[in-house]
Amino acid sequence: MSIIEDIGAQVRAVADELPLAQLAVALEKFGQATERLRWVRQESANPMGAPELSAATEHAETAGYALRVAQEQLSAYLAAIGLAADGAPAPKADERQPRHDAPREVAPPAPGAGPEQGVDPTARRWWAVRVAELTGGREGPSDEPDEQVGDSRELLRRVVTGVRSGDRDRLHRELRRAHADVGLGLAAVAPPLLRDLAGELLGHPPRADDLGRLRRELDGRVRDLLPGLPPPVLDALLTRVCRMPPPRRAEDQEQPHAADPAVTAGVVTGVLLDRLGRDLPADAVEREPSRGAHG
Amino acid sequence: MASVAELKAAIDVALQQIGDGQTAVQAAGEKLAEAQQTLAGALEGSGHETVEAAQASLTQASQELEECLAATLVAVEQAQLYVASL
Repeated sequence: MSIIEDIGAQVRAVADELPLAQLAVALEKFGQATERLRWVRQESANPMGAPELSAATEHAETAGYALRVAQEQLSAYLAAIGLAADGAPAPKADERQPRHDAPREVAPPAPGAGPEQGVDPTARRWWAVRVAELTGGREGPSDEPDEQVGDSRELLRRVVTGVRSGDRDRLHRELRRAHADVGLGLAAVAPPLLRDLAGELLGHPPRADDLGRLRRELDGRVRDLLPGLPPPVLDALLTRVCRMPPPRRAEDQEQPHAADPAVTAGVVTGVLLDRLGRDLPADAVEREPSRGAHG
Repeated sequence: MASVAELKAAIDVALQQIGDGQTAVQAAGEKLAEAQQTLAGALEGSGHETVEAAQASLTQASQELEECLAATLVAVEQAQLYVASL
C-alpha cells in the first residue's frame, strides 16, 4: 500500500465512523422524552425544561448535518488526491462507475469530449438534478459547477441575493451550479441565522405558538421559489426555528432528500431577509453560527 | 385528569430518556474527538481547502454536541425543580 493509499484508508475510516449512529440514538431518546413531557404539560403551564430539550434536539440535529457535510468534504478530498471513496486508487476512465457527485477539484471534461460510457449523468450531478426538481427548472448541460463558489457561506450570500432580487432564474441557477458538498453546507450555515431573523420578524424569539404565523408568512413565497418542495420539509425547518420537536413522519412518508433541508434553509433565509428589507449582514457569512438557546 | 403520582412517574421516565440521550451524545463527542485526532494526524500539513472545510465541519459538530449537552442539563434541572414543587 502506498503512502497516499494509506492516508486515503485512514480518511475513509474516519468518514465512515463518524458518530451518526450515536446521534440517531440521542435524537430518538430526546424525542421520546419530549413526547412524555408534552403529555405532562397538558396538566400544567410549567414548561419543565421542554424548551431546553427542544434546543438540545436542535443542536444534535445541527451536529448531524455538520457530520454529513464533513463526510461529503472528505469524499471530495479523496477524489481530489486520486482515490476512490473506499480509499483505493481511482478507477481508470474506461472502468469508471457512477459517482455520488463530481468533486470540486476534478476538472470538467474537455470540450467536445463525449459522455462517459455507462455513466448516468444524473448520478454524477445528483445535487443539480434535485435542485432542478425543487425549483421546477431544468437540469441542462449549461449548468456546469461554478468553481468560484468555494464554500457554503458564499453560496448562501448568492442565494439571498437571488431571492432579494426577485430573479427566480438567477436563484435557481446559483443553486443548481453549486457543488453538492457546498450546497449541503447550507444546512449548517443557514439555520443559526434563521431563528434570529424569525425573531426579528415576530418581534420576539420564536416559540411553538408562532409556528402557524411563520408558516403563513413564509409558505407562499417559499412555494413560489421552490414549487417542487415537499411540504413536510418546510414544516420541519420551521418547527426547529420555533424550538419544537420535529413533526412526526407518517409511516408511508419518505425520508426527505438530503438536498431538501439545505436548499430550504438557504431560501428561507433569503425570504426572511427580504421580508425584513435587509441584506445578509457582512459578518453573518463569516462568523461562527450563534450559540446558545434563545428563548 | 392525571394524578400527581402519574405526573411524577412520567417525568421520571422522561428524565431517564434524557439521561440515555446524554450518554449517547457523550459517546458521539468522544468518537468525534478521536476522529478529529486521527484526521489531524493523517492530514497534518495538508493545507488542502477541502480538508480544512471538513475539519471546520467537525469542529462545528463538536461545538453543537457541547451545546446540546448543556441544554439537556438545564432541561433536567427544570424538570427536577417541577417535580420537587408537586
